[in-house]
Amino acid sequence: MIEKTDIGKEELLTGYRNLVMERFMDKKLLNASKQGFLPFYIPLMGHEAIHIGIGLALRDNDYFYPYYRDFGTVLQKGIPLDMIMSQVFSTQDDNELGRDMPDHFSFKKYNIGAVITPVAGHLTSATGIAYAYQYRKKEGSIIATFGDGATSTPDFHVAMNFAGVYNLPMVFFCENNGFAISVPTYPTENGAFDQTYEETRGQIYKKAEAYGFNGIRIDGTNFVEVYRQTRKALENAKNGPILIEAMTYRMGPHSTADDPNKYRTNTVTEGSEKDPVIASQKVLKDMGILDDKAIESINDEMDKKSTDLINKYEKEPKPDKHTILDNLYEENPWYIDEEKGDIQ
Amino acid sequence: MTMVKALNSALDNAMEKDDSIILLGEDVGIDGGVFRVTDGLLNKYGKSRVMDTPLAELGIIGFGIGMAMEGLKAIPEIQFQDFLYTGMDQIINQMAKLRYRTNGDYTLPMVLRTPYAGGVHGGPYHSQSGEVYFTHTQGLTVVTPSNPYDAKGLLLSSIELNDPVIFLEPKRSYFIKGEVPEDYYKIDLRKANVVKEGDDLTIITYGPSVPLVNNTVNKNNVNADIIDLRTLNPFDLDTILKSVKKTGKVLIVHEAPKMFGVGAELAATIAERAIDYLSAPILRVTGLDIPVPFALEDYYVPNERRIMEAVNKLLNYQ
Repeated sequence: MIEKTDIGKEELLTGYRNLVMERFMDKKLLNASKQGFLPFYIPLMGHEAIHIGIGLALRDNDYFYPYYRDFGTVLQKGIPLDMIMSQVFSTQDDNELGRDMPDHFSFKKYNIGAVITPVAGHLTSATGIAYAYQYRKKEGSIIATFGDGATSTPDFHVAMNFAGVYNLPMVFFCENNGFAISVPTYPTENGAFDQTYEETRGQIYKKAEAYGFNGIRIDGTNFVEVYRQTRKALENAKNGPILIEAMTYRMGPHSTADDPNKYRTNTVTEGSEKDPVIASQKVLKDMGILDDKAIESINDEMDKKSTDLINKYEKEPKPDKHTILDNLYEENPWYIDEEKGDIQ
Repeated sequence: MTMVKALNSALDNAMEKDDSIILLGEDVGIDGGVFRVTDGLLNKYGKSRVMDTPLAELGIIGFGIGMAMEGLKAIPEIQFQDFLYTGMDQIINQMAKLRYRTNGDYTLPMVLRTPYAGGVHGGPYHSQSGEVYFTHTQGLTVVTPSNPYDAKGLLLSSIELNDPVIFLEPKRSYFIKGEVPEDYYKIDLRKANVVKEGDDLTIITYGPSVPLVNNTVNKNNVNADIIDLRTLNPFDLDTILKSVKKTGKVLIVHEAPKMFGVGAELAATIAERAIDYLSAPILRVTGLDIPVPFALEDYYVPNERRIMEAVNKLLNYQ
């Protein structure tokens, strides 16, 4: 049953439009990388409902520290498309000047953290940001996202411990897509899902209990549900941290460097019931917000919009080569100045 | 006052002036730090600014980075430099690279303080000189004082810097005494200190080895320039070259092991730029290329005899 939400129909429709946009962008960016326009890309198919749900839940005062698979969240949060696309294609207008990989965003003025590649490397930073909020008595909460693989790292456990000890306004959000590249979240034998392990020790959301706060598991394929639970968590985080484990399935490869056929059989395919686009359609249809006609016209619109954007940005000039020595320090050392001559 | 008191005075001066400064680390609060550098600060500034943290170096460093990303000025203390490595990923991948990889969208004004090198018979895990791990990480400023006056001035300058600083405190010098003003003062982080002037050779050293070099030179009436680097990266090239061109002979002394050490970088840089001025090989007197042995530490560290052998070799070089 769909309960009443504190979110308007217009907002939900915008969320759905962004969800479809993210799906098209993802497929086309993956293609662009195969054709050589992008040196590297991290696909996100299967994560769209999580991204849009979190994006809808964020208020201006909240702080979002993403990981490298969160394109749709910054889209939904309302970061100007030009800033997003310039970063993805490392153009001369990229605020990072092409120094980091696609989807490694840094939008400080929008309260968005600098995405870091090493898995979970941002989680202790996020708790430090939460401490700064607490110390300055700032409105809002901090939410940091990460994959299921991240929950094996020391960073995750140390960050959870600090958040618990200082009772920080912090939402830990695990986007559980079932796989850390080729390794399943739960130990398997011959590729089979080990339900015993999952039921007894493998439930990520239960790890919060040991650190003195609550964890919940939610459906990560329905963006309305993700929105509702995330908004509630951000409100409640004023009184202490919370861990959310959102269940979904990584429908594509981990990155452009692996072939999932080698390590698994896809159990969720595009267009199937658990595809976040299909699952979200169903919810919105049930709420009377969406019908087949609207679905088709949004598809056509986003198909065209995404193609136009990619065509535009893949042709944008790259940053000037001389900029690579800038901004290592506020005042660069003498040897950096000397190395300017090495760039020809 | 002692170097410990000087550092305490610097932290006190800075915290009084700026309420965005937060100290954090293991035992820095109630205990005042195992070397007492933060003694009394908890009472004065409260536990929201002097934080006893859980025992996790990774967390202390990462937590400090997050604070700095959000406008606070974190000064984490790592109890011994030897214990810092679980936080090394944070230092190399987040702290050092944040400004560069975001092209300045984020900056990290923070100072990571930690005691290093020997002098307390601490064995392999309380005596390490790991400065090259930091000097070879692009984006860090690595500072190490050699006396109480410099300790306070350099720490205050580090706190004012808008970039991350690794502040290495030579624990063997923690309790040496010197004149230190109570008031706030700074020392230029990019200027080496010429401790003593002489014409026959140049001795370049830093941190824990400066008192040893100074005593050795004075006791044996060596006519040497002694350069205390103060900042290892970026080091003060101009002061070094000026002295080398005057004396033509160079001895480098540090407590860290020789192979691939700071001395190697200094020697290569001097050779690249001033080899025509040299009248002898560049020599190094350093810690031995082994972990620091507990019972026989004294054989590991540079001493007067080894320094004078190198000095005489240079002075008599034909």
